[in-house]
Amino acid sequence: MAFEDLLGDPVIQKYLHELVGPTGMPVAAAPPDGEVTDEELAEELGLELNDVRRALFILYENDLATYRRVRDEDSGWLTYLWTFEYDNIPENLEEEMHRLLDALEERQEYEQNHEFYLCEVCSIRFEFGEAMDFGFECPECGSPLESMENNRLVDAMNRRVGELREELNADVTG
Amino acid sequence: MSATDLEADLTEDERRGLELIRETRGIHQSDFWKQLDIGSRKGSRIAERLAETGLIKRSDTVYEGHNTYFLEPAARDLEFSLLMAGDMLSPYIGEEEIDPKSDAFSQWLMNLAYDEY
Repeated sequence: MAFEDLLGDPVIQKYLHELVGPTGMPVAAAPPDGEVTDEELAEELGLELNDVRRALFILYENDLATYRRVRDEDSGWLTYLWTFEYDNIPENLEEEMHRLLDALEERQEYEQNHEFYLCEVCSIRFEFGEAMDFGFECPECGSPLESMENNRLVDAMNRRVGELREELNADVTG
Repeated sequence: MSATDLEADLTEDERRGLELIRETRGIHQSDFWKQLDIGSRKGSRIAERLAETGLIKRSDTVYEGHNTYFLEPAARDLEFSLLMAGDMLSPYIGEEEIDPKSDAFSQWLMNLAYDEY
C-alpha cells in the first residue's frame, strides 16, 4: 500500500470517508502502488464493480486519482488504468482550511452584530427581529422566548480564527 | 519521490533551513539567513532549492519596506486537526458553496464551543 504516512492521520481518514462514503471507503483507504483497474480493485476488495467505480470517480473529481485509457488489441475494449494521487491531499486540506476560515469570519460578524432569543423547550434560536414578530413566544410550542448569550460561541470562534490565521500565515500571505 | 526521500538528499545547511522554517511555522527570507548565520546569497539559494523540492512554499512579500520572500512549511506540515470540532469535520468538505449560516455549520460551532474548548 502507498501513502501510509498520510493515511495514518485520522483527519485524512475522516476526509476520505466524507468524500467517498462508507461503501467507497475500502477503495479510498487502501491505494495500491502504481496503476490498477477497477476490476482488479473490485476483486481484491470483494466489492461491487459499481461501488468501486463510484469511489474512483469521486477521487478523480477531487484530484486524488487519475486514469489512462488503453484499448485491448484483441477485444477492442477500453480499459481504464487508475493511479491514486494522494500527494494532493495536503493541498486540498489547506484549501479547506482557508474555506473554513472564510466561513468563520463571516459568521463571527453575524454572531457579534445580532441579538438572539431561545425557546428552551424546542432549543430553537431566533434573531431579535424574528422573536419580536412572534411576540417573544415560540411559534412551535408557545413558550416564552428568553434572551440568549452567545459569548461562548463567539469566544470559541475567535479562538479558532486566530489558530487558523496563524497556521495559514494569513496575516502575511493573505 | 516521497518527502522523506527528498529530505535525505538535502545538504546540512538546507536541512537546518528547513528545520528553522518548520519551527517558526513561517519566516521572512531576510530573517532566515540571519538566523542561520549565513550570507544573504547563500540563504537565497537554500530557500530557492527548498521551494523547488516542494518541501516549503516561497511567496513574494514586502517586509519592513523591502521586497523579500516569505518562507513557510509545505501543506503537508499543516495542522489539519484545525478542521475538526470535537469529532466533526468541517461541513464544507465535498460542498461547492460555503454557507456560513447553514445548520451543519451551526452544529460544528456548537461542537467547537462545548466539546473542543
